[in-house]
Amino acid sequence: MSFRRLTILSALAVLGIYGLLIASLAYYVNAADLQAALTSTRVLFSIQLSLVAATAATGLALALGVPAAYALSRFRFRGRQAVDSILEFPIIVSPAALGAIILIFFSNPLGQWIQAHTITFVFAFAGIVLAQFITVLGVFVRFLKTALDQVPRRYATSARILGASPSRAFLTVDLPLVRRGLIGAGVLSWAKALGEFGATIMVAGTMAMRTETLPIAIYSRLSVADIEGTVTLILILLAIGLTALFVARFLLRERDRA
Amino acid sequence: MLELEHVCSQSGAFRIDDVGLSVADGESHVLLGPSGAGKTTLLELVLGLRELESGRITLAGRDVTGEPIERRGIGYLPQRISLFPHLSVQENIAYGPLCRRQSPAEFQPVVDELVEATGIGHLLGRRPDTLSGGERQRVTLVRALATRPPLLLLDEPFTALNESLRREFWRLLKTLRAGHDFTMLMITHDLAEGFFMADRVTVLIDGRVEQVGDKEDVWRRPATLPVAKYLGIRNTFDATVAELDAAEAVVDCPGLGGRLRAALVPGRDVPEVGAALSLGIRAEFVALRDAAHPPTPREYLLEGRIVDAAVAGAEVVLLFQPNDAEATLEISVSHRLLRRFGVAVGQPATAGLPPDDVLLLQTEAASVVA
Repeated sequence: MSFRRLTILSALAVLGIYGLLIASLAYYVNAADLQAALTSTRVLFSIQLSLVAATAATGLALALGVPAAYALSRFRFRGRQAVDSILEFPIIVSPAALGAIILIFFSNPLGQWIQAHTITFVFAFAGIVLAQFITVLGVFVRFLKTALDQVPRRYATSARILGASPSRAFLTVDLPLVRRGLIGAGVLSWAKALGEFGATIMVAGTMAMRTETLPIAIYSRLSVADIEGTVTLILILLAIGLTALFVARFLLRERDRA
Repeated sequence: MLELEHVCSQSGAFRIDDVGLSVADGESHVLLGPSGAGKTTLLELVLGLRELESGRITLAGRDVTGEPIERRGIGYLPQRISLFPHLSVQENIAYGPLCRRQSPAEFQPVVDELVEATGIGHLLGRRPDTLSGGERQRVTLVRALATRPPLLLLDEPFTALNESLRREFWRLLKTLRAGHDFTMLMITHDLAEGFFMADRVTVLIDGRVEQVGDKEDVWRRPATLPVAKYLGIRNTFDATVAELDAAEAVVDCPGLGGRLRAALVPGRDVPEVGAALSLGIRAEFVALRDAAHPPTPREYLLEGRIVDAAVAGAEVVLLFQPNDAEATLEISVSHRLLRRFGVAVGQPATAGLPPDDVLLLQTEAASVVA
């Protein structure tokens, strides 16, 4: 077998593995369950909660991650190596462990003080957002930093020489040039936040109509052996995720044509 | 316009050491030097892309030493084209004026004039990635001048262009300078480009200014051995000053087998009798002599033979071996002159070294300002 054919077969095998798993869901799908799920208050709440929490977590990751990734990509500063190394922390530690760490943090005096004087995180909406934010932050910064590393510095330097302040050069030159990487990192982070389970369940629990996100709802249905309900929720989660990815691709394609 | 005073900067193992440079208002100054001499580093110091260890930089009387890059108001044409790929040509050109808070009414007439002069009017709506190398460089030039900077820095901007296009740009820059009245500091390692563009030149070698002066003076009269070698003078020999008079020095040159005369350069330090120095003579200034072409008075004559001849484009480079000396001389002649003298490899010939063309060169590094 030629090398070319071997590599193409490997690529098709990737599609086969995921495709087979997704196709297997069809065995338990029925229209009535799907319709019932889409009109169920509890399911609709989970969808809404998941969308809002993932969007808020991604927004926070963007707000902190964009300048952080820029600093890591462009500047040499004390502690840079430590920051760069810690980015993989959420990947190395399992989501459940990450959730446990957050929970432990809120049981120590500093965490208790924060909860008492600011907002409640444990078993609350803020906890879901925090768990998802912490899970996706490192990944977001790593992706964006890699994308920024690909943008030659000479463009921002030219902008500065032409009269742009550092922030203007960043906003008008570096940021537009890293647009694809930014959208990619944002969508990936949003999708990861949407599907986040381990850390969220540790911090926020499984309270229906309060902290039950879609992945937690899937877990709850499966734990009572409701296979049809589980499949229905998986399909909803899958549909939302795929829609986000297609929208992102569409946006990138439209911008490229412009 | 631009003054560098005692500028020092360290970058890894490389050091810019106590550099002074003065570019007058409206002047075209070219910074020449071999690769690694520190030319780009010096330009980066002027732009504010590097920090000075010590020294001072003033621009139009204003101390800009610690000023941020964007406030210096310098135009810059870099070696690597850096047009913003996400903006159209028109947006690229307007970027600088808009950053400097100029209204379109202010900058548009200047831009229109530059666009007209550079012939890029048909490119305004296009993206940089659809332009040829020459077109991109024209747009970069217009972008750099759109804010009417008092000083334009050029960092070997035409290196990637072919010969005819480069010459086209040299002419274009001269035209633009005449119409837009800006001071220019250009760095290049290309001697033809440097001397074409310059009013005055500075030769920088190993992070030190070796010689500054009018381009004719530097070209005709390099002051030190490193400058002479950099300027392509291949005939250099060790010598000792034997006698001095008002206009000439008589030097002993064992390499050329005798004692010859070299003209002193007015305004430069006169070497002392007994001083060790180097002699240099351009290959194109070594004269071939015969009965029809007699030597000038006080010219040093060498009898010998041609041991090699190589065609190097428009010229032929002959290797001349004197009969009574170990060293060889390179002689550069035109094809026509070669035919006239009927010189061929192995044949005897007479070479003449006119005192006016024999250069007295300081062997040690020294800063010579004329």
